[in-house]
Amino acid sequence: MNSEEMLRRTIAKFVDNEIIPVANDLDEKETFPRDLFKRLAGMGLYSIRYPKEAGGSAADNTHFCIMCEELARGSMSVAAFTAMQCLMGTDFLFKYGTPELRERYWRPAMRGEKVAAFCLTEPGGGTDLAAVTTTARKSADDVVITGYKTWVTNGPVADFYTVLCQTDRSKGPKGFGFFFVPRDTPGVVVTRKFSKMGTRATEISEVIFRDAHVPREHQFGPDGSGAALLNSKLEEIRVMTAALSLGLARAAFDASLRYANEREAFGRPIGKYQAIQMKLATMATEIEASRLMIYDCTRRMDRGIPAMKEASMAKYFASEAACRAADECTRIFGAYAYSNEYPASRFYRDTRFLLYGGGTSEILQVIIAKELGL
Amino acid sequence: MYRDARLGVAELDVIVLVKQVPNTAEVKIDPRTGTLMREGVESIINPDDLHALEAGLRLRESHGGRVTAVSMGPPQAMDALREALGMGADAAVLLTDRAFAGADTLATSYTLGKCIRKLGRFDLVVAGHQAIDGDTAQIGPQVAEYLDVPQVIRATRLEVRDGELHAERTHEDGVEAVRCALPALVTVTREANKPRYPYIPRLMAAFDPNAPIKTWGPKDIGADERLIGLKGSPTQVQKTFTPKLEKKVEKLSGQPAEMARALVGRLKERRLA
Repeated sequence: MNSEEMLRRTIAKFVDNEIIPVANDLDEKETFPRDLFKRLAGMGLYSIRYPKEAGGSAADNTHFCIMCEELARGSMSVAAFTAMQCLMGTDFLFKYGTPELRERYWRPAMRGEKVAAFCLTEPGGGTDLAAVTTTARKSADDVVITGYKTWVTNGPVADFYTVLCQTDRSKGPKGFGFFFVPRDTPGVVVTRKFSKMGTRATEISEVIFRDAHVPREHQFGPDGSGAALLNSKLEEIRVMTAALSLGLARAAFDASLRYANEREAFGRPIGKYQAIQMKLATMATEIEASRLMIYDCTRRMDRGIPAMKEASMAKYFASEAACRAADECTRIFGAYAYSNEYPASRFYRDTRFLLYGGGTSEILQVIIAKELGL
Repeated sequence: MYRDARLGVAELDVIVLVKQVPNTAEVKIDPRTGTLMREGVESIINPDDLHALEAGLRLRESHGGRVTAVSMGPPQAMDALREALGMGADAAVLLTDRAFAGADTLATSYTLGKCIRKLGRFDLVVAGHQAIDGDTAQIGPQVAEYLDVPQVIRATRLEVRDGELHAERTHEDGVEAVRCALPALVTVTREANKPRYPYIPRLMAAFDPNAPIKTWGPKDIGADERLIGLKGSPTQVQKTFTPKLEKKVEKLSGQPAEMARALVGRLKERRLA
């Protein structure tokens, strides 16, 4: 067994024993499950991407996506907050934070003692960087952050935020920067959590910065590096979201297959009818196609080959395939899918999360077209 | 060796015996050949051995010291040892060689005993009560006999105190508390604890070429070739088969009282009531 198989098996066992049995309850409670969050830290999941010298596993993109896929098979909410803690919530802090910041925030985050969040989207836009209006004004002593961020995953429970700000409008794409803002900074206001359709055990809110003062060393990377830093993570974000989609599609498929073998109509299991068989065959085929696209993409990335097109394609295809799988799951379950007692409803609602995070299908199609030279 | 905590040194050298087994929840027996159909069936650490590992790790956490996992099996049993390292074992030894193949419990116990002797000092050997593929529960006691140390079998709770092993064994009619001097061997059941999940950074590090896993053959442990593997096995399995279970179903009909009377009658006929 290689390390990829071992990792998958280990995470899968945890998911089967500890997450799937409580996934519907987590969804019902609509509350960030702090105990489970800490237990995942206890397994060393949050540091999986970070170097061994820092206490991590030095996992490449393939290993990281395997972890995300398996977690999403259990609960998209759990996978979403884990992915945030592993990747965008802590990545720039680890790479560009001062040793003191790392010690004070990154290490506790790896231990599950602090929750991380990433503030990118604003009411006026997400993908469109030019629409970012949150500003970071440098003074002699510090940086003053002012603005309004929305759709902040982990926002209500986070202890610190990595915030994209405009630093100089006149410099265009070179006029952005990322800044580290602890939650207890005066001027940071967290709104109440959103009432959402899906991923209900991940809390999301708006975060408002009203002249929040942070030290100058809270800037990540050199002046004007914000857009470049964000672009450097896009492949990872997209293929990771594709892996989350694959996990959810597998969960919907597994539940559908089991139900098709159990549920009888007119004296036979419904899986014996061609109408149901065709649905399951299509789901299985699209899952396999997603898997091939995702892990082909991660292996490219792991070899250092640019994969923006492949990552965009994988995310576009896998998230749409997950939506179709969850939709078919609700049809196979029939009226029972309409009840929250069964997981089909949760799968269906959670898939919508995948359509927006990491770029919508529409924007991804634009990117793919651009990569094709159009 | 273990030294009393009152002397200021209280570290334990613990050896845990680990077996890789097919996940019997998935294994079927080929009705034609009577052999296990292992193809595509995942191999796992024997469930009782996970509890043994957990017990060993907890003792180390309370007393300090070292946990070494030992397994005998084909090269793929390395996976079980990697998982043991992931859970927290400090080192591992895989006993693998064609000469070990076909061993019964006696030859296996001899081989494991030789390995433990080769490892040198130890305070406690912890093993699972039994393996799900053989269900013999013989390895622990036989290794203890080979090592000539006291043994406590089927422990549900254990701790080391004042230089002695204190353990509990649960019976149908109560709990038996036992103690014995160290070094000793103890086998544990599933009631002993809840095994932890592997810590991913340690699990991934177990795949490094310099991971602390030794691979030993018969010569490395100084084993007598006549006492290992098939040659050293007085018992040999001739046939494995699934007993045929025949079911006969009879459905009773009528009013509930009539059916109840009929059911009692049938049970009496068969002398079941």
